[in-house]
Amino acid sequence: MSRGSFLPVVGAFLVFVLGWQAVVVLGDFPPFILPGPAAVAASFVTGWTDGTIPPHLGATLVEVGLGFAVGAGLALVVGYTLARSALVERILSPYLVAAQATPILALAPLMALWFGPGLLGKVVICALIVFFPVAVYTMVGIRAVDARLLELGRALRATRLQVLTTLEVPAALPSIFGGMRVGVTLAVVGAIVGEWAGAEKGLGVLINLARGSLFDIPLVFATLLTISLLGIVLYLIVVLIERRLVGAR
Amino acid sequence: MTDRRPRPVRVSGVELSFPSRDGGRLPVLDGVGLDIPGGGIVALIGPNGSGKSTLLRVIAGLLHPQAGVVTLGDLPIVAPDPAIGLVFQEPRLLPWRSAAANITYPLELAGWPPERRANRLAELTELVALDPGVVSNRPAELSGGTSQRVALARALALEPEVLLLDEPFSALDALSRERFDLELLRLWDRAGTTIVLVTHSIAEAILVADRVVVLSPRPGRVVADIDVELARPRSLGDLDAAIVSHTAARIRAHLGDPAAAGSLELAS
Repeated sequence: MSRGSFLPVVGAFLVFVLGWQAVVVLGDFPPFILPGPAAVAASFVTGWTDGTIPPHLGATLVEVGLGFAVGAGLALVVGYTLARSALVERILSPYLVAAQATPILALAPLMALWFGPGLLGKVVICALIVFFPVAVYTMVGIRAVDARLLELGRALRATRLQVLTTLEVPAALPSIFGGMRVGVTLAVVGAIVGEWAGAEKGLGVLINLARGSLFDIPLVFATLLTISLLGIVLYLIVVLIERRLVGAR
Repeated sequence: MTDRRPRPVRVSGVELSFPSRDGGRLPVLDGVGLDIPGGGIVALIGPNGSGKSTLLRVIAGLLHPQAGVVTLGDLPIVAPDPAIGLVFQEPRLLPWRSAAANITYPLELAGWPPERRANRLAELTELVALDPGVVSNRPAELSGGTSQRVALARALALEPEVLLLDEPFSALDALSRERFDLELLRLWDRAGTTIVLVTHSIAEAILVADRVVVLSPRPGRVVADIDVELARPRSLGDLDAAIVSHTAARIRAHLGDPAAAGSLELAS
């Protein structure tokens, strides 16, 4: 970010915080309905310093990381196959779309039933939700590879593996990363939904605890803030890797 | 580069058709025959759709004719061969690679170790007179002429016996094109490859080639094979010679140009 664009970003954030405070004051909401920014900030700091939030964040992070790795990994393979085989696409795509159209919220309890309340169920849900965007973006990216470059590869007697690694993947990389940007934010949603359906640890569990037995609404908001920040940080990591690998073209 | 003399390329009875939209076949090449002596330069000229580029791809082993055969020396060409280098109409560089990495791409595919690739890169940049200051640039940062130089270097990387050029300079302005034509001749002098040049320009064909082969409108057939009796080394001044006007008029007549009879204008 350049220095010039820094000021508007900070300004917009201040406007958001002030607007929030104004709603709380004007609406005269009590903290257990809508806490003000100061209360949430205080709860956020306490939650981090007294060790409430970190272990839950750690659990969610592991679920997201593993789920994303498994889901995106499978999606790359399937997306490539869909792009290169019309038959496979015709056979598989109805199932893929159907799986994507089924709300993950409805699937989560099933996953908890099948895979138990442990890590596995959450990883499956994250992988499921990450899979679709990455597979579709990979398919689109591979299909869009310039046929003239493929002809060049043929003229230079590139093997199938060489075509894949030196032509198709580099050419499709910007598109694949587009899918990963969507996928990584969805992975966070998947983990939280999975935790809601039954878990012992995780940010989703913390929200349930804070809202229910603790009735600490500022902590609910502090947890929501943590989840948003997690999403933003993971997204930025993907963008950074993308900049490294795709670079200037 | 190669010490042994390049083998001749022989095209005989090549017929090729593409599937058409209505389910039939669209004939593109109709019994094309052509003898290209090793080390010679032949220009292919013809109207749009005469199958010039298709013929070039058959010689490159990228397309398989339904009938007929192309041979390099005694060997039939049925697939792309390292002895044949191809330059496309557009530079066709990999946008994510530097100019240098584009030039050495064929060497990389062929499994050359990095050190050998670097040595060959130095030879190639010198051979095609590429500015050493731009070798680390990406294609997006190169001019059209420089990009085509990179493409030429890439085609020459594996020291091919035959260099096939598909209207390689057609995207350049007229002045740059003439300069590139002369550079191509200089390069041919040094590398000693056989050259087949597809072109739209009669002037370019005459300036560069030993022989100009004229193809008919689709389906393409050889309708004329005209010798260019112009001594080498050639220069742009040679284009003013009477023999050039005469040759151009003959080519034009076979191209079915109604203006052929009187016109001595050479620009295509």
